[in-house]
Amino acid sequence: MSRAAERTTAWVYRGLWGVLVRWLRVPREQPGAPPGSGPVVRSVKPAPGFLRYLKFQFWLLLIVIDVVIIGVWAIIVVASPLAGIITAPLFWGVAIIPDIIAYAALHVRYDTTWYVITDRSVRIRRGVWIIREITITFENVQNVEVRQGPLQRHFGISNVVVQTAGGGATGPHGEGAGSHQGLLEGVENAGELRDLISARARASRGAGLGDEAGEPARRGFGPEHLAALRAISAEVR
Amino acid sequence: MSTDRAHSPERFDPRAVDRPHPLLLRHYTIVAALTGPMFPIIWLHSYCRYATLRYRFDEEGVWMAWGVLFKREINLAYRRIQDIHVTRGLIQRWLGLASVAVQTAAGAATPEMTIEGVLDADGLRDFLYARMRGARDEQALPRDESGGDEVLELLAAIRDGVAGLRSRVERLEGAYGGPSGDSKA
Repeated sequence: MSRAAERTTAWVYRGLWGVLVRWLRVPREQPGAPPGSGPVVRSVKPAPGFLRYLKFQFWLLLIVIDVVIIGVWAIIVVASPLAGIITAPLFWGVAIIPDIIAYAALHVRYDTTWYVITDRSVRIRRGVWIIREITITFENVQNVEVRQGPLQRHFGISNVVVQTAGGGATGPHGEGAGSHQGLLEGVENAGELRDLISARARASRGAGLGDEAGEPARRGFGPEHLAALRAISAEVR
Repeated sequence: MSTDRAHSPERFDPRAVDRPHPLLLRHYTIVAALTGPMFPIIWLHSYCRYATLRYRFDEEGVWMAWGVLFKREINLAYRRIQDIHVTRGLIQRWLGLASVAVQTAAGAATPEMTIEGVLDADGLRDFLYARMRGARDEQALPRDESGGDEVLELLAAIRDGVAGLRSRVERLEGAYGGPSGDSKA
């Protein structure tokens, strides 16, 4: 792409973001960390490989669909050149306009996805029309899954799925509002994240079902109780 | 949205909230209007929900109830919260509303409780987050209760009582000359 075209694209994209922020009230900044979280707050965006992965899927789909549309138009041109010229704007419009929208939407999707990871919790925001934010404490995590398809492996990304207790169906991309899981899509350092989260989950003494971890220790006798009991037994002997 | 604000845990106190904000009715009306010919039915249904919706936030949990013909009540303890979802649709963002969905470990696909019509959704989320498990150090919790340890106090009282009894017995034994109590009887 030439420099001027690049600048124009960037300008158009900035304008698009202006519309998103102004009229669709899409927040431009990252979500805030939950209160009481430690100093280590990491804001992770999906890896650049994720954008390439999405674009690859986009081009693949674009070629398949546009070859069909333009093919149909070519048949019409061959059959009747006049009808071909009349229907040209329609066919080329259908072939090109949705692609531009999809391409922009893909960038917007990438730019509106945020993962905020603190020492205690993870918060995920995604969406443009409907903005969904989910907050999970590591204490409630039941298991951590890392998923990677062959295409994702090529782009060096994976999906990390953080699941909490409770069942329920998941949406087509595991992003249904009712699902008991947080999806960290297209991250590069999946192994590191998995280790971090599962270490936190394993360190927790509870079952992650809202049970009190400190409860049994509080009911038992501490060293000061034992000292008092020894003193009593010494007195009565 | 929430980054520029200071995150003090009690920035927003939902205990004052018992009814949804009137903006929720406007949201319901817009959503019903978008359905076109179904408007009267959807709107009436939404209005009934809005008019009967009640919340009560207390120290341990939250209670919510709604319904005219079919009544529903939900009780939920903060400690049982698994994850918190904040969802904002386009119309909700225009009106400044949000849905705060709270999930427990029950096996339902839909959230156990969806709190609508609270203006400061981020504040409500912070309030709930601060009370759910794992948001703070669990060791910090029992500490304040063990300050007044009743078991230890009782043991100390028994120890002092036994010591007092022993000294009195020893004094009596000294007065009556020796521990051979049986010969005196």
